[in-house]
Formats: sequence, structure tokens, C-alpha cells
Amino acid sequence: MIIKIDNVYKSYNKNLVIKGISIDIEKGERIVILGPSGCGKTTLLRMIAGFIHPDKGKLIIDGRIVADNGKCIIEPENRHVGMVFQDLALWPHMSSYKNLEFGLKAKNIPKMERRKRIDEIFEKVQMDRFKNVHPGELSGGQQQRIALARALVMRPTILLMDEPLSSLDTDLSLILRKEILKLQEEFAITLIYVTHDREEAFSLATRIVVMDSGMIQKTGTVKEISEYIYNASHK
Amino acid sequence: MAKRLTLYITIFLLIGIGLAPVISIFIKSLFVDGEFSLQNYGTLFQSDREWRLLFNSLTLAGATTLITLLLGVPLGMLFTKTDLPLKRLFAILFVIPLIIPSYILAIAWFYCLGRSGIVAIIFNVDFGIITSNLLFGFAGTLFVMVSALLPIVIILTMTYLRMVNPNLEEAARLHCSWTMVLRKITIPLIYPGIALAALIVFILTLGEFGVPSSLRFDVYSVESFTRFSAFYDFNTATTAAMPLGIITFIVLIVERLFLRKKTFIFRAAGSEKTMVMAPLGRTKPFFMAAVSILVFILVIVPLGVLLYKSVSFSAYAEAFIRSIGSIMRSLVYASVGATCLVVFGFFLGYLLERRALKFSFAADSIAIFLFALPGTVIGIGLISLWNTPGTNFIYASMGIIIFGYIAQYTALGERVLAATFSHLPHSMEEAGQIAGADWFRRLFKILIPLAKRGMAAAWLICFIFCLRDIGITMMVYPPAHDTLPVRIFTLMANSPDDLISALCVIMIIITLLPLFGLWLANKCAKKASTLG
Amino acid sequence: MKSRVIFYIVFVGVMSLSFATGCGQKDTNEVVVYVSEDQVFSEPIFRDFEAETGIKVKAVYDTEETKSTGVMNRLIGEMHNPQADVYWANEPIRAIVLKQKGISEQYFSPNAEGIPANFKDPQGYWTGFSARARVLIVSEEGLIYQTPTSIFTYTDDIWKTKGVMANPLFGTTTSWIAALFTVWGDERARDFMKRMKENGTKVSTSNGESTMLVVNNEFLFSVVDSDDATNAMRNGKPVWQIYPDQEEGELGCLVLPNATVLIKGGPNPENGRKLIDYLLSPQTERKLAFADCAQIPLHKGVETPNDVITIGKLKLMKVDFEAVARKLQEIQPYLKEWVGY
Repeated sequence: MIIKIDNVYKSYNKNLVIKGISIDIEKGERIVILGPSGCGKTTLLRMIAGFIHPDKGKLIIDGRIVADNGKCIIEPENRHVGMVFQDLALWPHMSSYKNLEFGLKAKNIPKMERRKRIDEIFEKVQMDRFKNVHPGELSGGQQQRIALARALVMRPTILLMDEPLSSLDTDLSLILRKEILKLQEEFAITLIYVTHDREEAFSLATRIVVMDSGMIQKTGTVKEISEYIYNASHK
Repeated sequence: MAKRLTLYITIFLLIGIGLAPVISIFIKSLFVDGEFSLQNYGTLFQSDREWRLLFNSLTLAGATTLITLLLGVPLGMLFTKTDLPLKRLFAILFVIPLIIPSYILAIAWFYCLGRSGIVAIIFNVDFGIITSNLLFGFAGTLFVMVSALLPIVIILTMTYLRMVNPNLEEAARLHCSWTMVLRKITIPLIYPGIALAALIVFILTLGEFGVPSSLRFDVYSVESFTRFSAFYDFNTATTAAMPLGIITFIVLIVERLFLRKKTFIFRAAGSEKTMVMAPLGRTKPFFMAAVSILVFILVIVPLGVLLYKSVSFSAYAEAFIRSIGSIMRSLVYASVGATCLVVFGFFLGYLLERRALKFSFAADSIAIFLFALPGTVIGIGLISLWNTPGTNFIYASMGIIIFGYIAQYTALGERVLAATFSHLPHSMEEAGQIAGADWFRRLFKILIPLAKRGMAAAWLICFIFCLRDIGITMMVYPPAHDTLPVRIFTLMANSPDDLISALCVIMIIITLLPLFGLWLANKCAKKASTLG
Repeated sequence: MKSRVIFYIVFVGVMSLSFATGCGQKDTNEVVVYVSEDQVFSEPIFRDFEAETGIKVKAVYDTEETKSTGVMNRLIGEMHNPQADVYWANEPIRAIVLKQKGISEQYFSPNAEGIPANFKDPQGYWTGFSARARVLIVSEEGLIYQTPTSIFTYTDDIWKTKGVMANPLFGTTTSWIAALFTVWGDERARDFMKRMKENGTKVSTSNGESTMLVVNNEFLFSVVDSDDATNAMRNGKPVWQIYPDQEEGELGCLVLPNATVLIKGGPNPENGRKLIDYLLSPQTERKLAFADCAQIPLHKGVETPNDVITIGKLKLMKVDFEAVARKLQEIQPYLKEWVGY
């Protein structure tokens, strides 16, 4: 078990947004958290990343307790988690290369090694021609690839993705989904993917968590969930 | 069409009100005895002294800019991005010196550190001589300028930090600690704000007259003033102002080159996501202490000195009786001025941000150039242009003061509103256009409501600057139209300390009035929204 | 919607209020005066004038010396469309500059008759009243040394590095130096200046500062305006005021009067003349003698406080103010050089 979310609660301004959620995630799984906007799925993701901390409950990553009853025990930078944001959050003042290099530099990886890893990943996402280009000058799909590369270059064991494909057109989204799958397998990453798009969920997940109003409605395989949803909507 | 017309009219008015007076005296300075001649300019830089003064000016402006940035950016960060206790109170306290006209700060420090000042009384005369020697000269001038202009850096840093997309910081937070995120991501993202702050501080220091002249540090702007006052020679005075104009232009060009290359993504206005906060953790007591000490030295001491010096009821009664008319006029002129400046700033800011016309940069440059010009130069220009029998209705009324404010301070409103427009998506207006709304409808129903907060901020900033203005008002105020700062300045000669201190305190209070009003309005609005 | 209504109400309110304050004062029974004398002293005089005549005084005041960019420049700038009726100069040189530039108009006030002839313009372009003298101020410590009696103290070896003088580029100090040039001739005056410098005389920014420096014993003596010295003494400071060069055959003490000037083409010439009459009256001189500015009345027989000398008891430096004004402009470059600019 790589992640254990144990009966976690979180509230904002007295509004309870996460109401007692528990999930166990195994290594190499592709978990998709599916739910309408405002159901708390992004909050859950940000909690795993360490940007916010549960008011109650425990969060264990890779055998270490990272947050416990409102206390942050391990800071985000030490959780070895990668993340692709909904708006990608590419740093506009740095070139693509520098965007990738930032995290490696922070971890004091020597220059030669940095270059090797960045070149390798640029090739993987087929962006080697755009190394010195600033994100603002790239197209949506290209930015997407850089964002993905930025997360992967750190070789995280866990990759969090917050609706990263929502702003792309369907064709491009399909292509990128395939690439994500390929890369996930290649790097043997545990993927936690947040979306409101069922089709996206079904095509990516090994397991789906359906969330609504801060609670888990149902957990199961693609097949189980598709049946569940079918039944729910044909009642 | 209507939109272009509005924008053209705004530019035309800016040129007519602001630039025309300056051009008129510039042209006059090119003529000696009715013939074209560069003789006036020939006398410039004849002596080493002028070079030395220019060097002093640049050193002072450079050092002030550097120190205000080194202090102001971290302070702005502490007040917006961390869990520093009492940070709101600190932020308000730090802004107060900006409200006080800078020469009043100089007076307060003189009362405190002068030869027979408070420090000399508490310790001994010899110590007073040491502090007085420190105060009079480069160190003291630099210190007072820093404390007066630090708020500009703090305010702009805070404003720009609030606009940063929090995801950019969180993305970095995955890899490194907060200090590094702030250093490598957040600060680079707000470079435009820091550059703007640096520009304003630099220009204001370069043109500053009151502080260096009261603290006896010879700078170039004082020289240009002296030529007006000692020799009554408008032409050489104009000539003397030119190098400052040229330096300003150079600074502007550098700013443009530096900022144009970069594009910045700010979060859209009204974005739901709250700003991310960096916890201070164990360093909290250290920062608390550092900020408290700074606020004590820069704010509490001068304010305390003024209060202490004015601590008699009779001084306030006397000050009030002597200046109630000036107080009312100050408030009215500054309100009218700020309102006009917001209107100008709105259209020019729109022009600059949306590049709505070809020469939007030219309009911006004019505004900044006028902002940088010493107030007296604009004042002289206004007199030479408007003082004719036909235009007496402007010259002999408050109109001339308002014109002066517009000429000098348009850049403030313009830049604040340009920043506001920069995070209003174009699509908002375009959607209105598609829906068939004409320019005026779009203006009143979409742009103005969306820019409301920015307009309020611009109004406040312009209000403060108009209220504390002395350079222009002093030159052009019609008889019996004096404002409070003018009255303080004219009364200063041979008046008792307590009267001047009391007037300074009154000045601070009336400047705080609109801030207080805004706070009250905000509170009421909040209450209404929770009830409704 | 509501907020817009409020906005309009506020906007219209502010605008109309501003017009009320701006244009509402279309009072024809008024007089406009530009003032270089300190506001603290001149304003009460205007208030009395208003009370006595019912004429409203609208004033524009100057700031402290060297900081002033104010009224003289405005008078010159407004030459072709004058706004002022009267200018109250704090020394005659400015009045003469205005005369030379053709800004002032002749007026022989009936109250000017009692003023000695050397304190008014024979053609009536300006008239002097209440004067200041250029006096020596000496600290207690200085008096232990020796009692200075002359401006030559500045060049006296015994007083080396003990003297301070306000910046000769500004104000009454300029007039004083220029007066020395007219009385002595260029050569002797330049020699005096040179020796003064060699004797280690320091330059302060104003007479007020010189006074303070002497009060604090930083320097032992200075030549300042009599009002500065008298004020310091009234405040109990340990300093003494000495009228210099009073002995037989000596130079005498320079006395600089205030001056009234009627502005050519001003909007209310009749009221302007009334104000000038009022300013030149013995009662105004009396008030200015008793006020903190401690000025010396020029009319005979005006009552003064004990510490204000009467003009008759003083040996005056004989100067032609017109010549001083001319000399003042002429020696400007020399003075700049002397100060080290």
C-alpha cells in the first residue's frame, strides 16, 4: 500500500468539504476520482500533495505518516509527489528547460545528471525542439506535455493530475491520454487522476472513486462503476 | 468610433492640460531676447558643481530605490504571504509615512535628532550634535526619503502578490521549501510590480525638493528651485530642469526594454482560489521583532514626536482656527482632483493595457514624464500658459490647481488602472460587444463595474498625492485658495513648533479620513451582504 | 443600480461644492496681496484691516527664504495679467526688481510722509516701513572673549573660525553684502570677503540657523537680522544683540525696511491703495514692533517695547537701495564662486 487516506475531514469557513474519506491505494494503481465540480475531489488531491492539511484523520504515504489530525508532519517538498495542475501552472518567467530543471536543482542533482534526465524526458514527450521556448509561446497541447514532463522528470512514485486535459479538444485529449498511460507504465508510477469526465475516467482508470458532496459514493473497477452509474441514472 | 473618440479626447486633454504648459516654457527657454538661441543651455554644466549635484541626485535616488526595495519587498511579502501576527495593523502603520508630506517627516526627525532636539535633551548635547550631524547630510536625507517612500514598494508588492496565480507557487512547493519558492518563483513573477515601484521611487526621489533642502543635502532639483527663487530667471530654471527630464526618459526606456520581453500570467480577477500562505514557523518571533523595530523607528518615532510637540489644546485650537478654510479646501480640491485623475487614468490605463490606439505608449510616456517633472516647472508652465485675461476663469479659480494635479499625477491613476485592466479578460468586453452593446453601454455596464476596485484604489492613491502636493499648488494657488500643506509650508517660517506640529497632525488626520470612510463602507457592505 | 445613484450623488455633490468654494467668492470688495513677510506676523495685520475697513483680504504667502519659489516669481510670471493689487516685500531689493521689470505702479501714500526719505522710492514705486537691522549676535562664551562691536569681527584674527554667516546668495544676507559693495567699492568689498573666508567663516543656510548655531555655542557670533536676535533673547537664550559699527567714523548699521508695492493693472487698485495706507500707518508699525518679529518703526514717535530700538538712536549705514539692487545682480556670479558653488 503506497497511500492510505484514513477517515479524513476538512472544512473551509465552517463548511465541511471532506466528510470522512478513507481510501487505500496500491502501488502502480491508476485511481481516478470522479465527481461533479465542488465535490471535494481537488481538495483531496491537494491534501495528498500537502498544500492543505486534514482537520481530522491521518494521511500515510509510502509508509510515512505525512499528516495527522490537523498537523503537517512532512512538507510537500519531501513527499516525492508529482503534480500536473488544471491550469498547468507552468512558470511563465522560465523557459521549458528551466521549468524542468527547477525541481532537480532544488534537490541538488548535479548539472550533468540534470541535463541527462531532462533531455531524456523531453524526448519521451516529443518536445525536444522547444527546450528554450517560454511557455507563453507554446500551444495548449505543447504546454500540456511540458507540464507532464515537469512532473515526470522528478521520477515521482506518485503522480497527481487535476483535470489536466479539460481545456483541450477531444482529439488531442485522446492522444495525450494514451501518452499518459504509456508513460505511467514505463515509469511504474501510481497515478491519482481527478476528473469530472466519465469517459476519461473509464479510459484511464484501474479503479474509480466516485465522490459527491465530500463523501465517497462508490469505489470499484471500471466495470463496476459503469454499471453503478448506469443503474443510478436509469432508476 | 465612440470609443476611439473618447480615447482621443482623453489624450488631447492630457496634452492640452499637462504637456502644453511644459512645451510652452521649453520653447520660451529657446529664445533669448526674441531670437532663437541655445544660450540658456550653454550655461548649463559650465561648472563642476552642476555635475556634482547631478551625481548627488543620482546617488540619492539610486540608494533610496535600492534600500526601499530591499526593505519593502520582504515586508510586502511578510504582510501578504505569511501568517505574521498583526500583519494588517503593521501594513497600515507602514503606509502612514506616505500620507505625511515628506518634508513633515523631515521636520519630525529634526525635532527628534536636531542639536536641541529630544534626543539631545534626553541624553546630552554632545550626543545631539552627533545625531544632528548624521541627520543633516546624505545619511539623514536618505533615511527620511526611505521612510517616506517605503510604503510605495510595500503597497505595490502586496498588490502584485495578490495577483499571482497560486498554482505556480504550489507547483514549485512540490520540490522545495517556501523560502526558495518565494525567491525563485514568486518574486520573479512580481518583477513588473517591483520595477514599477523602483521607477516611482527613483523618480520621486530625483524630483524631491523639500527633504534634501531642509536637511541640507545639495541635490540637483534644489539647484533648479534655487534658480527660480534666487534669480527670478525662468529660462535658466527651465534649462536646469532639463537634465532631470532626460534622466527620466532614460529610466523610462530602460523600464520598457526590461518589461516588454516578458509576459506574465496573473490569475483572473475574482478567481475563487485563495492566495497560498507561507507559515513562518519557528522564525515567527524573529520576524515579529524585526518588523516591530522597523515600524517603531520609521513610523512610531516621527508620529510620536509630532504628537509630543503639539501636545497642547491651545496649539490645536489655534491651528484649527487658522486653517479651517484650508482644511476644507484641501479636502475638496483633492477629491475633485482624484476624481478627475481616475477618469483620465481609466481611459489612459485602458489605452495602455489594450493598446487600443497606435500611440498608447506615447501617451503613457507623456504621463510618466509629467509625473517626473518637478512641480515648480509645471507650475511655471501653467502660469505662463493660463495667465491671460481670457483664461482668467481658470487661472483665478481652483481650476488651475486641478489642472496642475492632472498634469502631474495622471500617471498614477493610469498605471493603477492599467494593472487592473491587465487581469480583466478581453472576452468580458467582447461578449458585451457581441451582445450588441455600444461603447458607452459597455463602459458603464461592464468595464466600470469590473474595474471598480481598481478605480477605488486609484482614487485613494491620487487623493493622497493631491492632498500632499506642494510643488504645484504653491506655485499656482489663487489668492485665498491655499491648501493645508501650503499653509503649513508658509506658516513654518518663525512659527512656534507646537503650532506646526499640530497642523501636521491635522494633516495626517484629514488624509486618513477617506481611508477610514472606505473601511466603514467596506464593513457596511459586508454586513449588508451577510444579511441579504 | 443603487451604487450608481450614490456615485452620481457624491460626484455632483463634490463638483458643486467645489464650484461653490471656487467661484462663490465673487466678492468685489476685496484686495489681493502677495506677501513675502512671514505669514505668522502679516496675517494678524490683515485681519485687523478687514475688521476696520470691511474689505476682504485675499493673500498669497511666501515660504521661508531659499525655499521660496513663490510670490516674486508669480508676480513676474503674471506680469501680463496681474492678479495682485499689492505686494508686501520683506526687503526693498525685491520691490526694486519689480520696479525695474515694470510690474509696479507709482503711489504716494499720505502715510508715507512720515517715513524718512532714504527708506522710500523718490518716484513712489515702493515705500518702506517697519525695518530690520543687520546686527551682531554674540553668545555668552563669546562675550567672555571680548565684546565685538563691528562687522570686522569676521576678519579679526582673535575670532578666527568662530564666526558663521547665512548663505550670501539669499535674502537679507545678499542685500547686506551688496550694500557693502556699494559703500566700499568692489575692491575693498572683495578683499573683505576674501579675508572673511580666510578667517574660517562658515556658511549656514539661513539667518535663523545662524542664530541657533550661536545659541548652541557652535559658533560665537554671527551677523543676523535683528528679529532673529531679539526673538532669541526674548526666549531667554544666553545671547546678546549688538548694533555694529556705531562709533564716530564707522560704517553704521544696515537697516532693511519692509516695503509696499502697488501692482500695475491689479484688479482692485482702489482697495490696494487703502491697504498700502494701512500698512504704512504708525499703528501697523507699532503692532509689528510688539509682535515677535520685533521690527523697528520708521515713523517718529511710535511706541516700542524696551528691546526694540528706535530708528533715531541708530547710526545707519548710508545706502542707495537702487544701487544695492543693481550691485546685487552684478555680484551674483562672484558670490556663487565665493560660496564654492
